[in-house]
Amino acid sequence: MRLERILDVLDRAHNGPVYKEREFNLNVVASTIAAKVKKFGLTGTVDTENPIGSDDDLADRFYQAGFEAAVEIGLLCSDTNRVIRFSAEELQGLVDEAPSEFWLGEGDQKVHFRHRGLDDPTPPVWTVPLSIVVSEDIFVDMVHGLAAIEVVDCLEGPSLETVYGRPLRSGSPYEHLAGRYQADLMYEGIKRAGRVGMPMDAIGSSTTHYGLLGGYGVEGGYRPKHDLVTILSIGDFWTSYESLFKLTQVYVAGGEHISASSWVMLGGYPGGPEGTAVASVAYTLLMYAVFQGSRGGVPPFDISYMGNSGTRAQWALSVSNQAITRNTNTVYHSIANQVAGPGTEMLLHESLVGMVTMAVTGVTNVVGTRSAGGRLTDYLTPLEHQFAGEVFKAAAGLSREQGNDIIRKFIPMYQDQLTTKPDGRPFQELYNIDTMTPIPEWQAMYDKVKQQAIDAGLPL
Amino acid sequence: MSSPDEYESLRQAILDGDEEAAAAIGHEVAKAAENPLGAVEVASEVIREVGDKFGTGELFLPEMVLAAEAMQAFMAAVAARLEADAEGGASQKHHKVVIGTVQGDIHSIGKNIVATMLGASGYEIVDLGVNMGPMDAIEAAEKSGASFIGLSALMTTSMPYQKEVIDLLDELNQRDDFFVLVGGGPVTRGYADDINANGWAPDAAAAVRLVDRLASGETTPSDTTLVYVEGE
Repeated sequence: MRLERILDVLDRAHNGPVYKEREFNLNVVASTIAAKVKKFGLTGTVDTENPIGSDDDLADRFYQAGFEAAVEIGLLCSDTNRVIRFSAEELQGLVDEAPSEFWLGEGDQKVHFRHRGLDDPTPPVWTVPLSIVVSEDIFVDMVHGLAAIEVVDCLEGPSLETVYGRPLRSGSPYEHLAGRYQADLMYEGIKRAGRVGMPMDAIGSSTTHYGLLGGYGVEGGYRPKHDLVTILSIGDFWTSYESLFKLTQVYVAGGEHISASSWVMLGGYPGGPEGTAVASVAYTLLMYAVFQGSRGGVPPFDISYMGNSGTRAQWALSVSNQAITRNTNTVYHSIANQVAGPGTEMLLHESLVGMVTMAVTGVTNVVGTRSAGGRLTDYLTPLEHQFAGEVFKAAAGLSREQGNDIIRKFIPMYQDQLTTKPDGRPFQELYNIDTMTPIPEWQAMYDKVKQQAIDAGLPL
Repeated sequence: MSSPDEYESLRQAILDGDEEAAAAIGHEVAKAAENPLGAVEVASEVIREVGDKFGTGELFLPEMVLAAEAMQAFMAAVAARLEADAEGGASQKHHKVVIGTVQGDIHSIGKNIVATMLGASGYEIVDLGVNMGPMDAIEAAEKSGASFIGLSALMTTSMPYQKEVIDLLDELNQRDDFFVLVGGGPVTRGYADDINANGWAPDAAAAVRLVDRLASGETTPSDTTLVYVEGE
């Protein structure tokens, strides 16, 4: 981490141009994105019949539009109401500083993160699960089950529902305690799975900086040299002291690697799919620049169902991925945002679609699965993570055309259920916890969808 | 103002997010001899349509915000006339809603969308922003004379602060003073029921219908049987 870059960012967060919320959202974000869509001839380029396009020139125009938008928009710090903004030369230089490869973890569990290109057979990295809440009494079992999956490379979540039996409250001392407590539980689960040394993303249970202060770079906590710190900015070109505290804590603790992430809303201030793709590129570049990201990525969510498995969001995801991976040498990361829960075929179909798209569009690392959209406690199991990881790795090396042909077969199977969001069933009902095996019904769904994927041309 | 053409120009002004035109029409309506409630109903229908289209992805947030602002400009222009007519028997909404994202949570978009839609639907909004302390919400509701407290949470770790507001109201013997409404990405109907919230809705358009129902007097805040409105 470079201190001078941190200080420069903090200076800009305190001396940059001042904006009120409405003015920034409408007159800066929405207007600039709309202007770039128009300037680069991107209006009407969305192709929902072919969510994974193969038009390199189109991807490059999205990159140029996103780069210009990043320079003109910047990131608004919600605590100071000032914008952190860079010139084009500065932004290019900062993005160029992002590493094209790095290692995390220890011993035989070390993981190599490296830039991937389009249609690239380089094995991608699968990090599980998202920070979905699980009950404290099954937390270690869940980590054990997830870490035992061969295709899993790293761990991020899950998140604790309680800490020492008390509700985990954001921004409170409970969250500070949870940082270190989660590390203890994660190490125990990893040990049981026989994968000591596995890298982790810090810190799933704490979205604010308090968990990081309590659990990263402290004795027995997350390891500054081997783990990654997730900085998830608050969306649509905003950032905050929370995220900046995480940046300074990584520096103070002697850490090296940050995941600079956020999301953009399809249907939000960036507008439709084209604007959302431009915003995804722009925000990603800014996150690398502001937070010295070793890994970065700002995937779209469709605001109408809070996921990205539908055709419009898949198209926006695909074209923004291609724009970044064709035009930078960064380690790019993304998230497939499913809405269906475990114990449903829909979750597996959504996962298949999302992971194929990621693999063929050059994404290095995906964190998932967002089982049940992350909205229900204990609604995740190891099996959907195994399936998604298998698909992700099998699809690496397929062409974009092949990927597009595959996902076109599966999206219609669930598109009309994206707003109804079947919850599925919780871990306790879908797994035998003593043997850590799925119940036959859930296993049969996995077998069926895996065969469907093979029949569709996925080399599983 | 009661002809189809006149209603169409009001409808178009709101759909276009043309605040100036909407305000001008509002001033005409306020001066006209006819009862203004017909125009208000047209405007309300348009803003409901905008909210529904936003919910289904047919309209995007900038258009919705501008339409809501045009609606508010229209309503501001006719407010005095409605007040005067109310004394003669016409009715209008007077409820205030204190709204904010709860403590420990700085996500604002969802809360802003709901606040915008409620404001456009005639409710007076007291927006406390993000990271709103439980007691701050209660005190703001007391000071403003609000009937509703709306609590948004986008993180599972901030949801306990929604419960905290309800618990404080219970302990302060003020549970009957305010309807407490909860929402946000991870906030399910089941959770709302568990914490004894009065209302829950999955999106902004449904939130407006929810507040309309509660404001109609069908229940009281101390009746904590959850009232909910599903999305469309």
